Amino acid sequence: MTATKASILITFLVSLATSGAVFCADPPPTFEPAQIEFFEKEIRPILADNCLDCHSGTKAKVGLQLDHREGWISGSDYRKVIQLDKPAESILVKAIKHSGEKGILSMPEKGDKLADADIEKITQWITMGLPWPEYEDSENIDPSEHWSFQPVKKPPLPEDAGHPIDYFLKEAKKKVGVVSADKADRKTLYRRAHFDLLGLPPKFDEAEKFIADSRPDQEAWPALIDQLLTSPHYGERWARQWMDIARYSDTKGYEGAGRERRFVYSYAYRNWLIKSLNDDLPYDKFLLYQLAAEQLVDWNSPEKTHLAALGFLSLSKNGKTELVIDDRIDTTFRGMMALTVSCARCHDHKFDPISTSEYYGLYGVFMNSFKEERPEVGEPKMGPEWDKYLKDRAAQQKLIDDFLAPKFAKLRKEDPKLTDDRALLTSKLSRADRRELTKKQGVYDKFVADAKMDPDKAIILVDTEKPRAQRIFIRGAPGRQGDEAPRRFLTFGKEVDPVAFTKGSGRLELAQQIVTPDNPLTARNIVNRVWMWHFGEGIVRTIDDFGIQGELPDHPELLDFLATWFVENGWSIKELHRLILTSETWQQTSVNTAEEKNMFVDPENRLLWKYNKRRLDLEQMRDGILDVTGTLSEEMYGRTVKILEPPYSNRRSVYAFIDRQNLNPIFRNFDFSNPQETTAKRPSTTIPMQALFTMNSKFMQDRATELAKKGVTQKDPIQLYHRAVFAKEPTENDRLLADSFFTSVESEMKEYAKRQTNTAWSYGYGEHDEKSEKVSFTPYPLWTGTQWQIEKETPIKNNPLSYLYARAGATHPGHTSKESSIYQWQAPSDLRVRIAGIIERNAVGKGNGVKVKVITNGGKLLFDKVMDPAKKAIPVTVDAFDIAKNDLIYFIIDPHENNSAFDSVTWSPQVIDASGKIPKWGLSDSFSGPATPATPHSAYVHALLNTNRFLFIE
Amino acid sequence: MTPPFSRRELLQRTGMGMGALGMSPFLSSLNAGDRSLNPLAPGKTHFAPKAKRVIHIFANGGPSQVDSFDYKPELEKYHGKEVPGGGLRTERKTGTLMKSPFNFSQHGKSGLWASDLFPKVAAMADDLCVINSMYANVPNHEPSLMLMNTGAERVNLVRPSMGSWVTYGLGTENENLPGFVSLCPGGVPIVETQNWRSAFLPGAYQGAHVDTKNTLISKLIPDIRNQRMPTEIQRKQLDLVQEMNRQDIGNAPVDPDMEARMHSLELAYKMQIEATDAFNVDREPQHIRDLYGDTLHGRQMLIARRLVERGTRFVQVWHGAGQPWDSHAEIAKNHGRLGAEADQPIAALLMDLKQRGLLEDTLVIWGGEFGRTPTVELPTPGSNAADTKLGRDHNHHGFTMWMAGGGAKGGFQYGQTDEFGFKAVENPMHVHDLHATILHLLGFDHEKLTYRYAGRDFRLTDVHGEVFHDLIA
Repeated sequence: MTATKASILITFLVSLATSGAVFCADPPPTFEPAQIEFFEKEIRPILADNCLDCHSGTKAKVGLQLDHREGWISGSDYRKVIQLDKPAESILVKAIKHSGEKGILSMPEKGDKLADADIEKITQWITMGLPWPEYEDSENIDPSEHWSFQPVKKPPLPEDAGHPIDYFLKEAKKKVGVVSADKADRKTLYRRAHFDLLGLPPKFDEAEKFIADSRPDQEAWPALIDQLLTSPHYGERWARQWMDIARYSDTKGYEGAGRERRFVYSYAYRNWLIKSLNDDLPYDKFLLYQLAAEQLVDWNSPEKTHLAALGFLSLSKNGKTELVIDDRIDTTFRGMMALTVSCARCHDHKFDPISTSEYYGLYGVFMNSFKEERPEVGEPKMGPEWDKYLKDRAAQQKLIDDFLAPKFAKLRKEDPKLTDDRALLTSKLSRADRRELTKKQGVYDKFVADAKMDPDKAIILVDTEKPRAQRIFIRGAPGRQGDEAPRRFLTFGKEVDPVAFTKGSGRLELAQQIVTPDNPLTARNIVNRVWMWHFGEGIVRTIDDFGIQGELPDHPELLDFLATWFVENGWSIKELHRLILTSETWQQTSVNTAEEKNMFVDPENRLLWKYNKRRLDLEQMRDGILDVTGTLSEEMYGRTVKILEPPYSNRRSVYAFIDRQNLNPIFRNFDFSNPQETTAKRPSTTIPMQALFTMNSKFMQDRATELAKKGVTQKDPIQLYHRAVFAKEPTENDRLLADSFFTSVESEMKEYAKRQTNTAWSYGYGEHDEKSEKVSFTPYPLWTGTQWQIEKETPIKNNPLSYLYARAGATHPGHTSKESSIYQWQAPSDLRVRIAGIIERNAVGKGNGVKVKVITNGGKLLFDKVMDPAKKAIPVTVDAFDIAKNDLIYFIIDPHENNSAFDSVTWSPQVIDASGKIPKWGLSDSFSGPATPATPHSAYVHALLNTNRFLFIE
Repeated sequence: MTPPFSRRELLQRTGMGMGALGMSPFLSSLNAGDRSLNPLAPGKTHFAPKAKRVIHIFANGGPSQVDSFDYKPELEKYHGKEVPGGGLRTERKTGTLMKSPFNFSQHGKSGLWASDLFPKVAAMADDLCVINSMYANVPNHEPSLMLMNTGAERVNLVRPSMGSWVTYGLGTENENLPGFVSLCPGGVPIVETQNWRSAFLPGAYQGAHVDTKNTLISKLIPDIRNQRMPTEIQRKQLDLVQEMNRQDIGNAPVDPDMEARMHSLELAYKMQIEATDAFNVDREPQHIRDLYGDTLHGRQMLIARRLVERGTRFVQVWHGAGQPWDSHAEIAKNHGRLGAEADQPIAALLMDLKQRGLLEDTLVIWGGEFGRTPTVELPTPGSNAADTKLGRDHNHHGFTMWMAGGGAKGGFQYGQTDEFGFKAVENPMHVHDLHATILHLLGFDHEKLTYRYAGRDFRLTDVHGEVFHDLIA
């Protein structure tokens, strides 16, 4: 770096820093040079020789660190070890004196006792007040003076300031001389606003209308923002942002075999988020409900729907109580206050003014509201389907009750004092019985989860009746309890009386402390996050850490202005969007003519001298692709759907089933949040695994095919495609490229398609008529994405056909010979082939077996055998024979004697070229759905979906 | 008063610091630009590494040390007798000591002891660094798997896996392949994908699970092939995409993210071919296929070699779904079968790596999440009463792992369990120590390979771990 460069940089850095919060260091005790010398010459060697092996650094025994002055003062995990006023009374002195007092170990534990003279020196040194050279005390800044713990103060704004966001940034830009970018054109902004607010791409016609709007920008633009903010899709986009914070998941995490992992009602929380954001529920209420809704709303009024807000806490990761509570504390404080309170679980926070005692005070709040309830919040259901479900559910419940009733009766007989309390009785069951109960409960839970019939329920927490006092867990271990930790709010290291919680668990009071406008962190946190969601980076870049280890705000005045403005404007998130989107800062182009110069001073664009180009995130990309190809479902709310596996739901990504334990790797390949813990900011990576999905996945190609179907019949398909995908007209260049693409692939693709429709294997059902020796073969009409079948739902009772399916190497026949399952193979040329393979019945010893036949279309029976039900497997092999081009071989599974019970089989026959020149035709290797070779049109649309033009927001 | 800038702040503010990925300080010393655009770009180590890549053979379920690599002649003497002084706490009740049904002998110049459960691996004794004094914390599969794989044993405390940490630190040598691959035939082990998850590290570092029971390449890696157009047409399609991209950029300044994406399309295109090739063991000459054997385990071990040879950083090879080595009953039969499955492929891997000069800087690790008791397991009512005979229970107090190549001392035996093989008594090595030592071999100070998350610098060894220099050649 040249000298000039460096000096500009330093000026810039200093200006950023001085505009930040001002530190006022608490003066450390000062010592005479002679005292320091005494320490260095006399004390330090004693410590080094005798103490520091065990008592230094992070691994210090009992947490006692004697390698710095602060360590002497704060003592061990259990207690203080020195008394400055009475050194001789100090536990440490007694320990090195080997006083033998109860509870005081003799130190050093491993080495010899210190010489009396050395003990005297240490005592003397303690009397001096532990002189220690100043530079070694790493933290001499008073943490309570840290910027983020100071009250938010609204900075003054001159009357002619113009847009406040631009005003504050203009000042900062002027200081270092970076130049803002131009305003982006309407077309760009229109697309940007759509993805930003709705997570969806713009529509061509609407974009054109906006561009042609004759009103000036000052009128047209706010009108557009208003319009977008009233779209119900807004909530679907912004709920997902909050779900990252709430580590939203539809499963609890790891559970042993037999236990149901799904929450079942998690979606009620997601739905509540969508609705609350669409309604612009004031943010303070938004938080209050998520922490304590059950104490704020009438459970019997329509406002009971707010109970679902408690999913924020209740959808936590499962596990040991102390970890569940830690997760709730972490999610609450990192998510709502950008504070890493959780660090104080095992020891006082190393950097921020949060003590272990404060942590366990909060722990007490959650400990005393650990109990879960599931009140109904959805519409009650009616009708025959519902009645049937109730009956089935009751039958499932009865299985459990019938199991328990005799056991409970026995227990009560043995001990008549036992009450009817189910939980109590359950706890008295034998281990084996409890295991059996878990298994039965798992079956019941799975039934309910699969049925998807119960009305929406909220998973809520309720306070215990008589709150219990909480003690500190020393080093985080529940078995080692320390002092009592009163339930109270944080003080940020300030010398003030903490706000004590007195009502119930104190959870509501905690929530109130979080949303009081005096809380220095809550408003700053949310405006910073909304800023990040709009610009890609926060004003404080360490989004979930406003503590001492975090970064300083780049623009402290702007941050505080936004925080106060936000509260003044009714904690309205939508107002905040309006403010941000009407700023020149947000409306800049993503390319700046002064780029080179700006890059030199501010390469990270901390001064927002241009808009940050961004790649569509997973949800924007997937929803966008569904939308531009005309296949996005408009349906809102409802239960979860699987989006990345067949049959690929066409609902918006916010409705995706999120499996905390086994998240489909594609999610994380696209930088999706980690559903195990609260996520502040998704990483932003570019890896080839992403491109493999966009280039090759069935999802992408199916969508492209959908749009191509519409275009292929049009006079100007290129126009249709470009309008749909980019909401833009194709340029001349686009047309030229399209033409040359079509010309270059047309004939090749036709050839390829021909080859594809001639796959050797087909799947269907029918009958081998033994008299006529003919086989009737009907191909399956329906492909689910993994298997061929006839009916949409399988199996359906009393419908013989509904049992029929074929998936890779596995099949099940219908009830009678007429519905035998058949694989058909067609010879691609004149050949000599043999047949190999093994057929296996899955239910050995049950049913009456199946009849297995291999026969040609000429009626030549190659194999014919009834499979003994007791047998697991039999080989199906046929010696080499000649077959003519286009002739067929049928592989038939007949249910045998028209009894198809237990007839699912695994069979993956192989047709093998006897000469060994051609690779074998194995059914499972080539098993596939209907051949759908790409067409020039689908390939073209697929290409458009892969362009940066589509995948980036400029 | 203006506070002085810390070096960290200065780095961060000048963009030389954490970069887009929130990289820890050590990574800031490499070209942050490259790393932020391509998280798998080769990383820089703290010091010269001895190993450049890792193959971790996971005998999941817990292989028995006293039946494999920890010879305990006392077991013969005390067969059928109580443990003098009483046994140790295990998951289930165990009874008297039980001798091994396998025969031990000494192997190689080094004279290492090994049983005939692994005759072919034993023949490679002079390359093995056998650690007989491993120990973990509890005798249960889930926490012990988590400890071995992530350094944090609580199942619900999700931390990045060792493979993710290594890939985060080192990136990959071949952009056309995933950096971290987990081969597991027939499904997933218990605790499932958590065994190779990247947790709070970016998804780029998660292990790619490959079910090696499939032989069809298109089923091994999702979306590795376009099923609807041939490669030649796909190339034309890509050319169209890239041409549109170039025209859109026009004369605008280079945008690194857009460039990175264009680059990743090309990488993916090549990956289709290269990954396909890496998994296609049919390309190997017959004598190599014979060396490994034409079995599931032979094939997956050969895939492992093909992957590391092509630059994949960390390959984990699991014995199978669930917990195959968990022989609570009939140790002779069950371990015998498992050993027969694994022995030749593992020995072949070592031999093959050696003859290619790859063993020098490829660290091969073998072991389970813990070992088994030298005592016989007793029936537990309601649990395993029916199937319990002559099996062994879980044992975390002492077990055996071995390393080979990658700077580990060959023909070397380290540590001791007690006379029966129950508990590590001499030079006990905790799993954290193993992790520290592995990272050391890879060129990292385990205390400095950190990632800033939730206000803390996390590391694989948490606050534990010591490098055992005795094991290093």
